[in-house]
Amino acid sequence: MKNIAILAAILLLPLAVRPAIATEIWIFAIFGLGANLLIGYTGLLSFGQATFFGSAAYVAGYLLKYHGLNVFAALGAGIGVGAVSALAVGYLCVQRSGIYFIMLTFALNQLFYFVAYQWTSVTGGEDGMPGIPRPVLLGVDFRNPLVYYGFVSVFFLASLWAMKRIVESPIGKILQAIRENEVRAAAVGYDVPRFKLAAFVIAGAFSGLAGVLYAMLFGIVPLEAISFVFSGNVVFATLIGGSGSLYGPIIGSFVFIWLSESVSLLWERWPLLLGVAFVIVVLFLRGGVIEAWSRFVAWKMRWRSSKRAA
Amino acid sequence: MALLETRSLSKSFGALTAVDGVSLAVEAGTLHSIIGPNGAGKTTLFNLLTGAFAPSSGDILLDGRRITGTPAHRVAHLGIARSFQRTNVFPALSLLDNVWVAAFARSPSWSGLLWRHTGRYPEAVSTARKALADVGLAGKADQPARAISHGEQRQLELAIALAASPRVLLLDEPAAGLSPDETRKMVALVRSLKAPAPGQTQGRYTIVLIEHKMDIIMSVSDRISVMHFGRLIAEGTPAEIQRDPEVRRAYLGGVAA
Amino acid sequence: MNLFFGQILNGIATGMLYALMGLGLALIAGILNIPNFAHGALFAVGAYLAVSAIGALGNFWIALLVAPIGVALLGLLIEYLGIRRLYAAGHDYQLLFTFGLSLILAEGIILVWGPVGISQLPPPALRGGVDLGFTFYPKYRLFVMAAAGLLVVGTWLFLEKTRYGAIMRAGIENKEMVSLLGIDIHRLFTVAFALGAYLAGIAGALTAPIRGLSPGMGVDMLGIAFVVVALGGMGNILGAIAAGLLIGVAQAVVAAYWTEASVAVIYLVMAAVLVFRPQGLFGTR
Repeated sequence: MKNIAILAAILLLPLAVRPAIATEIWIFAIFGLGANLLIGYTGLLSFGQATFFGSAAYVAGYLLKYHGLNVFAALGAGIGVGAVSALAVGYLCVQRSGIYFIMLTFALNQLFYFVAYQWTSVTGGEDGMPGIPRPVLLGVDFRNPLVYYGFVSVFFLASLWAMKRIVESPIGKILQAIRENEVRAAAVGYDVPRFKLAAFVIAGAFSGLAGVLYAMLFGIVPLEAISFVFSGNVVFATLIGGSGSLYGPIIGSFVFIWLSESVSLLWERWPLLLGVAFVIVVLFLRGGVIEAWSRFVAWKMRWRSSKRAA
Repeated sequence: MALLETRSLSKSFGALTAVDGVSLAVEAGTLHSIIGPNGAGKTTLFNLLTGAFAPSSGDILLDGRRITGTPAHRVAHLGIARSFQRTNVFPALSLLDNVWVAAFARSPSWSGLLWRHTGRYPEAVSTARKALADVGLAGKADQPARAISHGEQRQLELAIALAASPRVLLLDEPAAGLSPDETRKMVALVRSLKAPAPGQTQGRYTIVLIEHKMDIIMSVSDRISVMHFGRLIAEGTPAEIQRDPEVRRAYLGGVAA
Repeated sequence: MNLFFGQILNGIATGMLYALMGLGLALIAGILNIPNFAHGALFAVGAYLAVSAIGALGNFWIALLVAPIGVALLGLLIEYLGIRRLYAAGHDYQLLFTFGLSLILAEGIILVWGPVGISQLPPPALRGGVDLGFTFYPKYRLFVMAAAGLLVVGTWLFLEKTRYGAIMRAGIENKEMVSLLGIDIHRLFTVAFALGAYLAGIAGALTAPIRGLSPGMGVDMLGIAFVVVALGGMGNILGAIAAGLLIGVAQAVVAAYWTEASVAVIYLVMAAVLVFRPQGLFGTR
């Protein structure tokens, strides 16, 4: 059962990779869950998810660093900022469709990026916002990597549960209906722009949660966290995991983090390899890892049966 | 009194007048057909009735109340449901989900929209299953819509409209692209929709039908309106329409269906 | 006041370049219906190729001729090897492809030319300034205004007055109709992409002596190109031109008084316009 596999993955992962990377995987998976709701379930190719992720990271990071905010309040603030920024961006974007929509989400991402870039007094600009503390709660020290890993895992499980509830509820079906046929969805009685906006807000909330956890993981909010490259990464992870399935973003997160972590060690110019990976996936591995795997299995079976026949 | 009425309804796209001063009245529980050559404005008329376009002038009344200008997503909640000429379903969703979303939209309450499992809406589920059963697709409820045949998709098309528990059904060429056998089944289905509920005299649904196949029209219609170049050129019972010289001219004079 | 007028002139110069970028992107988006996230990278490649050509050939004018053609050829290659296979694939894959391409090209630039910014002098004939009365204005910028302006007008004339241009405009409106008329739609796509790439390349080549080059110049320009298209109305040629000029001038004026906000202001203006006019300044509907 999938749930057992996930629990096993959570328990075993720190044995395979450094706790920091393992933590990053689950954080990125939360980010991907939100993005997948928009991209996979609703069919809205938002290329600006980093807007919500990064905004939440900056705001919560600022509150944690300068105002010593309680960690749960910071997480709540992050979720709120993610949701509100998504509301604003979504409001401007949902009336458009197709390429126009995609370009708009990107352009608004750029707006937030440049504000973060220039507002050095608050965000630190290119240098980012360092010094984000991790809490010490009830005697438990979250600065211990394994402890923080456990903390993040709990939030991942909660996020997965929440997203499962959402996609299995009426709004999950309605968003998919909108993806499949907007005109019919409206004819059947749904205010399509409003539902699209709801999808944005939910995705933004998940992105915001991921953003705060990310800031606390690395102790810094880098400018990259609000850049379009980050947005592109989560789109990649969503697609390669297989969009439109609940667990896809988890696979996608594993693939992407593994890819970027291993490749970045090889070569300073690793984004080039990342770009090549994107191109290869698009040209040869459409349908994502799951489809590639099933095609490989089918090919192996054919090869075996032809060997037997010979 | 007419349940659905239009008064001098018109729609122009620039220099092209697609619908020109159409006034018609559909009595509750009857089946009212609209026929006419291709390009006569029939589908545009449906688009006006369902709020897909706003009319250039004129009014639409439901139960005596003006509903002109109601946006498309609110029309379903008025009790008007439509099936489309080109199959317009949700391909990746199962048949059951296809009709379920239509049924759920019309539920009196949307509580649990974000968190209650779709299976735990007994009324929406039963309405959905009944709609599938009415069109004969109950056995395939769990298959994705893109996996069924074209004829079955036309049936699903109709089921989605039925699942909204409407008072008024607007059917746009339900038999389009169907084989003679499938057409026969569709006609029987439409006729069953006309039938009153037990103990009632009036038909369950008020139906407005666009069709090209004359045998269907003649066999199920209570009244027929004929459109030509956006205007109503004749209206009456099937027998009256068959004798009408204007209609003959429109159909035999060159631009026949 | 002199500063103000000088900035207006600067704005027109950069605005012409923005218009070129917006035009190229509008053509690709309108005809091929794909989101071209590599458009900024093509601009950057144009700039770097021009600089190398100037270094190798010692002649600015030949470089200006040759570099954009190089970018156009690159565009042909990209369309033939990749984009052609993705027309039916859906925007998500097209986006990922062009995004991946932009990463490859940007990193490729660093590999070939190094990560540090490069500066490039204008050709000897265009160095120094011209006395315009109210200010002493750099000759090269006047040249850019003229050259870019000529290209913009030329592209517009091509689209409006020639037969193939009419086919392209028809392709933006209705691809099926164009192919039904017996026109090779795939050739149309290839030509459109190459033309868009050419426009991006020559914009890059012209930019080099004004702002210098850096590997990140492509990304910044990509966003601006998107804003131009969003404001100009999708598929609207004149709109893209007008929007480019507008943004260029607005940015230059703001830069005079509040330098830090000069980039963000472009996006803010776009957001503000879209709130009140979702179809852009010149779009229909």
